[in-house]
Order: sequence, then structure tokens, then C-alpha cells
Amino acid sequence: MSVLDILINYHLAFLQGLQVTLELCLVIWSSGIVLGVTLGAIGANHPQSWGRFIRAMSFGFSAIPTLVVLFWLHYPAQAVFNVVIDPFYTASLTLSLVNIFAVGEMVRQAAMDFPAQYIVAGRVCGLGMRDIVTKIQLPILFRQLLPGLLVLQVGMLHATLFASLISVEEIFRVSQRINSTIYRPVEIYTALALFFLLVCLPINLLAAYLKERYTRDLSER
Amino acid sequence: MLEAHNLTFGYPGKPVLQNVSLRVKPGGVTVLIGPSGTGKTTLLRCLALLEAPQSGEIAIDDQKFSCPWPDGRPLDPPWPKLTAVFQQLFLWPHLTLRENILLPVRRRSAGMQEALDALIEAFDMGEFIDHYPNEASLGQRQRVALARALMLEPRYLLLDEITSALDVEQIAKILSYLKGLRGKQIGIFIITHLLGFARHAADQVVFMAGGEIAEQGGPDILKNPQTERLHQFLSVIAAAS
Repeated sequence: MSVLDILINYHLAFLQGLQVTLELCLVIWSSGIVLGVTLGAIGANHPQSWGRFIRAMSFGFSAIPTLVVLFWLHYPAQAVFNVVIDPFYTASLTLSLVNIFAVGEMVRQAAMDFPAQYIVAGRVCGLGMRDIVTKIQLPILFRQLLPGLLVLQVGMLHATLFASLISVEEIFRVSQRINSTIYRPVEIYTALALFFLLVCLPINLLAAYLKERYTRDLSER
Repeated sequence: MLEAHNLTFGYPGKPVLQNVSLRVKPGGVTVLIGPSGTGKTTLLRCLALLEAPQSGEIAIDDQKFSCPWPDGRPLDPPWPKLTAVFQQLFLWPHLTLRENILLPVRRRSAGMQEALDALIEAFDMGEFIDHYPNEASLGQRQRVALARALMLEPRYLLLDEITSALDVEQIAKILSYLKGLRGKQIGIFIITHLLGFARHAADQVVFMAGGEIAEQGGPDILKNPQTERLHQFLSVIAAAS
């Protein structure tokens, strides 16, 4: 049975798995970008309180393996609180938290390190704070953050594989299930790799487009 | 009139400005000279209301700013009626040089494009005006930073060593342009090492040393200095050139 045969025979299962993976990604990416950017901005404006909190949380989530957090929230935490939560929600929450604090720290750091002279130049040119933020600060920060943010989001897509370990029926788990039925690991995992390539390709194309459109080498010649 | 009265500024254990007082008249050119590290740029930043002196007062026409400022910030600073061009220029790197000049004036009424065209011609900026700052030489960026300030039609223009990277021809063009601004009643305060410019164009020359104004007066103080410190400074420059 070739890769193509497997894709044809099990396309429904693969598509369902892909759908779950993409749903997970949608939750993780949207919460990470929206809440992470908001949190980062708050952290930059309140460095002593929120800034420290974001830094600590981001350090915690980068130091503790995501899988450990996921398992902790899925097994002991639910046992302690005597609740049963759908693994999809547990995985969404865990990976969203990781993404939110990673994005938040990235944004906070960039905003804190923003060269003050560009703001000074705006002030003496008579620009108001709103113009300085929208026309100077945000465009420069956006260009600076874009490559790192996109790499982080691709990393979060890969991290959705961990959800299979708590029984979320995402594409990796579907592949494992098919493999346990027909035992064709080479073909099945090749098919899985193809799916990931197909998902990552548009993201990479988008990243390349945004990079081409909005970022350029700012170093002086 | 832009006036500073008894400005004092410093860091713990390190005074930078001590009781500095001076006046910049609209339509006049005030040149500030002095050795490096004597607080010239700090004085300019204080006059631009970007640094908060520990004591003293800055008056810009009818507006008075008594120091220290509440919350460390001046209340309602009159930018860009008072504007500045810094030695480091501070051009926004994500905008082309043309966009750098036009961003602060984009809400103003018509006539800005014509004003920009006139400056492009006056400062020979046609060849690089659509480049980004990092694609331009330091001299080109200096001209753009000055053009950005001039487009704002300020009443007081503070300039910090803005001709340091220009060739002789460009310096002559820009300084002659600055002299021409007298007619528009723009008060110019310029930090420079170009004593020739001070001799020929300044209405007032201020010499700073050790955080204090050691001597000030008309351009003739450069010929007949009254203080030993200015005499020494001029001798060193004459020996070096």
C-alpha cells in the first residue's frame, strides 16, 4: 500500500484529524496573538507589576516542558479539583497559555527596548502620542517582531502533536491509529509529514510575503 | 524670545549645567561653541524641553516653564513651534527620507509639497529623497533632518552639530540657507565648531566651558576674547587648523 493509497483510503480520518489540529491552532494562534500582544503592551507600560509577572510566567513556561504542563493539567489537576474536562479544551488551554506568555514576553521586551530617540524626534516634530504610537512605534515594532512571531506560531503548530498524548483526536493520533490497524509506518508517517508540509507551506509563504512587504534590513551602510 | 534663566542640571555628584542663562531672539542666530563635554548638547536638550533641569526657568515667548517640572515633564510644550535637530538625527528607519519629512506635516493645509520641492532643490536632495535612512550617507541624512525641521515652520530652531558630516560646498549652502531664515523671523540656536560661520552669520556667540557660560557677546568676541578660557580655546583651534 503506497502513500497515495493510504491517503485515498483513509482520507476522511486524516481530514478529521487535520480539522482538529487546525481548530487547536486557531485557538492557540488567535489567543496567543491577541492576548499575548495585549499582555506585552500592558507589561511594557507597567514593568514593575505586569512586566515582572509576564517575565516570570514566560520563564516558567519555557523552563517546564510543555508536555509536563499538559499532563499536569490533564491528570493531577483534574483529579485534585475532581473535574473531567474534554482533552481538546485542556490542550487548547495549555498551548494557549504557553503561546500567550511567549508572545507577551516577546512584545514586552521589544516595546521596552524601543529606541526612545524615535519618540523624542516625534515629540519635537509636534506629533501627538497617538500618531507617535500608530505611525512610528507600532510599525517599527511590527517589522521587528514579525519574523520571530511567525516562527513561534509554526512551533505552536508542531506542539499540537503533544495533544495526541492526552487522547485529542488530532492528525498525529489519527495517523497512529491507522498505523495500529495496517502497520505501514513509513507510508503513514510520510503522509503525515506531507500534511504538515501542506499546512506549513501557506504559513511560510505568508511569512515570506509579510517579511518581503514589511521588513527590510535597517542596518546602516 | 526663547530665554533660559539660571538653568542648573546634573547627575548625582556630576554637575553638567550651572546657572546657565541666555536668550535666543526670533530672527537671530545664536551660536554656541565650546570644548567637547562641556554640556552644550545638554543645554540644547534643556532648551528643547527634553531634559528637566533641577532649577531655573525657560521662557518661550509667553509660556514659562519653571524647573523642576511637575512629574518631570513640561506642561503643554510648544513643539513644533520650538523644534530641534540632533547630532544623531533620529530619522525614522521604516520611512523613506521623503516620508520622514512629510509625516509631521501630513495634516497641514496645501503647500507642503511645494515647500518640500523647494527644500529638495535648496539642499540637493533629489537623488536620494526616496531612499531609506540607512541607504543614505550621514551627510545626506543631516540635510534631511534639517529639512524635516524646516518644514515645520518653527519659530525657534535648535541645531546640534548638523553640518559635521557635510562637505565644504554643502556646509556653505546650508549655512547660507540658515542665514536667510532671519528674514522669516526664525530664531536659530546652533551648536557648531565652525567658527567661520559664527564670525560671519551669528548675531550672538555663546562660549561654554565646564558647564557654565564663560563668555557671550557679538561675533567680535571671537576676535577679542575677554576671558582667558575663550582665548585658550580659540588658540587651540587656530593651532589645529
